[in-house]
Parts: sequence; C-alpha cells; structure tokens
Amino acid sequence: MSYDDVEIEDMEWNEELQAYTYPCPCGDLFQITKEDLKLGEEIARCPSCSLYITVIYNIEDFLADSDKNRQNKGLQPVAVA
Amino acid sequence: MEEGEKDESEGGVWSWGAGTDGQLGTTILEDEHFPKLLHQPLLSSVSSLACGGAHVIALTSAGKVLSWGRGNSGQLGHGEVVSNALYPKALTSLDDSFITHVAAGWSHSAFVSGLDFSAVSLSAVFLKRISVESDYTGCVFTCGDGSFGQLGHGDYASHSSPVKVSCFIDQHVAKVACGMRHSLVLLKGHCSGADCPGNQVYGFGSGKRGQLGVNIDRVKSVNVPRLVSGFEGEEIVEIAANGDHSAAVSVDGHVYTWGRGFKGFDDAHTPQCLNSTLNFTKIALGWNHALTMSGEGEVYMLGGNHPGVLGDPQNTKSEKHLPFSMHSGDQKRQPKCRTNRLREFVKKDSNMTALEFEDFREANLEKVPGLDGMKITDIASGAEHSFLFSEHGEIKTWGWGEHGQLGLGNTSDQISPVTVSLGYDLNEAASIRVFCGSGFTFALGSGSELPVAVYRMESQESSTYFGIHDALCWKAMCSAPKAPPKFDNYEGM
Ligand SMILES: [Zn+2]
Repeated sequence: MSYDDVEIEDMEWNEELQAYTYPCPCGDLFQITKEDLKLGEEIARCPSCSLYITVIYNIEDFLADSDKNRQNKGLQPVAVA
Repeated sequence: MEEGEKDESEGGVWSWGAGTDGQLGTTILEDEHFPKLLHQPLLSSVSSLACGGAHVIALTSAGKVLSWGRGNSGQLGHGEVVSNALYPKALTSLDDSFITHVAAGWSHSAFVSGLDFSAVSLSAVFLKRISVESDYTGCVFTCGDGSFGQLGHGDYASHSSPVKVSCFIDQHVAKVACGMRHSLVLLKGHCSGADCPGNQVYGFGSGKRGQLGVNIDRVKSVNVPRLVSGFEGEEIVEIAANGDHSAAVSVDGHVYTWGRGFKGFDDAHTPQCLNSTLNFTKIALGWNHALTMSGEGEVYMLGGNHPGVLGDPQNTKSEKHLPFSMHSGDQKRQPKCRTNRLREFVKKDSNMTALEFEDFREANLEKVPGLDGMKITDIASGAEHSFLFSEHGEIKTWGWGEHGQLGLGNTSDQISPVTVSLGYDLNEAASIRVFCGSGFTFALGSGSELPVAVYRMESQESSTYFGIHDALCWKAMCSAPKAPPKFDNYEGM
C-alpha cells in the first residue's frame, strides 16, 4: 500500500540524485526521475526501505518541460537518458 | 553503584534503528536491530537529545551541544556541509551560550540559549541583574535546511552554523520544536486568566498542511515567526512538532493539535483542542500519529495504525477501527475546553454535524492497548514507531520496525506494545529517557544522581563558580531585578 500521496510541488528537485525527492520515514528519500514522470510513472520509491509514495502530478507539465528544454538545448542539459 | 561491577547499568547512551547516515553514533554506517551501548567519552555528560530525520543534537549538562549524523543541509551546525559525521562533535560556535533546549527536524536544528557568556562575562554586576522573576532565557538559534523558511531568518537560505533568530532576541524563549519543514517556538508565559493574550507560540516554515496554525488557509510557507492563533486564555507549557503535525499542551492539561489531519480527518489550520476530561501532560508526534499521556500515567493514541506501514489493511481501512470511548458509564460529560472551533473541522464528504464530528474525533482517540494499568512516565514517537517508559523502568515499543528501530532484534512491525531490553538490569533509581528520530531511536540512562557541571565564569571583578543542574538552578542563583539583559552589541554568529 502506498505510504502517502504527495503533490509534485511538495517534492524537491535534487541535483545530485537527478530526481524529485520527498522525505521517507526511514530517514532516506523517496525518489522519482523526470524520465519516470514523462512515462506516466506515479510511484516514487525509497532506496533504503520497502515504502513508496504516489506522486500527484500532471504529465503534460513534464512533456511540455522536455519540449522546452529541447528548444534551449546546450546550455543547461537536463538529465535525459 | 556499590556493586563494583560497572555503573553503565545506570548511565549510558544506547542507539538502534536506521544508521546509514551515521545517526546512531556507532561510527559505522549500518542499522542496528538491538540497542547498542555507545562508548563515546564525549557522550558521558549528555543530559538530553533531539533526533531528527537522520541527525542527532545532544545537549550536555554543561549547556554544550554535540551533533552527529547526516549533515548535507548544514543541520549539524559545524559550519560546513558534510554528507555525514560519524562521531559526536561539539558545536564550538555556541560556546558563548549556555544552551538549555535543543530540537531537530527532518534537516534542520534549533537551539535555545539560556544565557550568553560573552555578554555576561563583562561584569559580575551585570550577572546579578539577571532576573529570577523574568525567567530570563535567551534566544533561538537555527541551522540547516532553510528552503521552506523553517529557520525563521526572513529568507529561504540554509545555514551550516547556528544563526540567531532576530525575532526572538528580546523575548523569553522557553522551548523550540522542529517538524519536517517547520518550526515552533514557545515563549515563557507571563500571564494567566481570561485576559491573557495567549500569545506564546510562534510558527514558521512550511504551512501548507496548516502546521503553522497562523489562521491563514493554505499559507504555503512563512520565513519569519508568526503568532499561532487560538490559545486565548490558555497557558501553553509544552510544544511538539513532527512531520506536518504540530501540538501543544496547556498548563490545565488540554491538548491542542493542528496541521496535517490524523487518519480520516482534514487538515486543521488553527489549533484544535482535544475534547477530553483527561488531564494531559505530554504529547509526542509521529508523521501520522500522536501519543498523549495523562497525569495518571495513561497513554492514548491519535491516528492509530497508519495504512501502508502498520497493521493489516482490512483493519486500518475501516473508519470504525478501534472506536474507543473514554466515558465511564453512559452519561455524556462536559468537554473541558471550548468547542467553538469545530466548524473548521468537518470531515471530508460527510454531512456530520460539528457535535457528531466531535464524538467521532474523540472516538479516534484510542487508549494504547495491552498496558494492564501500567503507569507510564514518558512517551516518545518516531515517524512511524512509538515508545513508552513505565514507572517500574520498563520500556515498551510498537510500530514500524523495518530498520530495527523497535530494538527487538528483528525488522518486524509490532501492532501493540512489547517490552524492549537494553541488555542491562536497570537500577530502580535509574531513569531512562527515550528519544526517537524518523527511523531510529536513542535511550539515555541516568543514575539517581544527575551529573553536576561546575562552571567557572570569568568577570572583571572576580571569578565565580557555579554548580549547574539545569536552567532552573541557574535561575535560582541569579538575583533580583526585572529587565532581561539586552544584546545590543551582539549581532549573532
Ligand atoms: Zn525509506
């Protein structure tokens, strides 16, 4: 069962992990990448325990974001696999 | 102690649970499933602990501060951002202050100073002016992640060294509490009675779930301390914060909660008084539950077993799970505190009236089962695990155990209290206090005699020696007048 439902705006972008993160009660972070979000994935997992959360977001925001990034490509490459 | 054996059976610091950020102080990055006695000389004088997401702030009987664990947001306060610190390390930047209280949030920390040595050492005369009556305590310092305004400095900057919160420089701060992304500050009350302004609690940081209690719906965050509304006529003596929850206990034994709603309930944007005839003395918050202890040593829980972590889904999904009535007999008793704030408190998708709702909320307060009349003297709560300490020295735990945070030697969950052993036979006179971080736990033992720190204060006229148990003794030693010292020339760290 999902531990919690968390809105994407409450998650924090972590440069180092290249993922959106949210505190996990174990002390680690729930994580989900932009690529996952673009694919419609809504589960953010914690690498240290069995818990996961459901991320509430609008997939269009991420598809549009990737278009925009493609347009200003070069200077600030987003982590795209 | 006369046993000649080892006095570790009385004093000592134990830790267990999630340890991959060094938060257990075991000097290795590993979980511990059993309570582990720490052999750190620096910890011998620790009198209190605050455990956060993955870091620990320790307060010594001499008013000094140590910290260890995760430091990636500057929450350790050592002036640098480190991924983690494996050994307890003194916060030298607070050396000028006598710290009386510490708190740890998910990734930030707070410190209440009782007295500023750099200011008082100027003269013994000045020292004597510190008032007993005014209950002088100093300021609040914060460090760590400030991206939600939880440091209270008027911006969203993070700090790796404690910085004085300017809002409280001329105030009498008693306590501070840190949640996931917010902070609460309790000022010393100077008033009582119906005309009391009741303005003792301040909140700052993330407020999206109502955890600041500042009476503004959906305030996303505030970065300067704001008055928590709704305590008119109440003298607040305890505050607590964890996750997106906030709570306070009044001198009359009323418990208030605000912030994220407990299981099945809406968020509360102003403090809500728990309707009960019980006289509560303490509350401990998790991320989805709360424990509250009555003066008679009974413990009640709000929120219950959280779906996704504890209990079987069939049980936890049911709203009627463990309906608990505190009435003895059938007659309805009068609530002890005002109920006129209930309208904000309407359950989702329901046509419940406020009164029905009140009953429902009360029913949600369940007595912790399986204690058989055992008198409880202390409570503690991690994100998803709980601890009780009984008058006979027994430690009980239940909740989420995946990282060994229950200390039972395994990673199983427990749905009702079971006994934990520290591996030592405790002297009757010894007292144990338990402190929970998100996924880990500390126990602090102290013998019948508290360590007394001897303090030497340099002044221009003379040297003065003090034996200090705690801030109370400190106050008792200081004499007369009313005005607290001002720190005009002291601009923080
Ligand atoms: Zn986790």
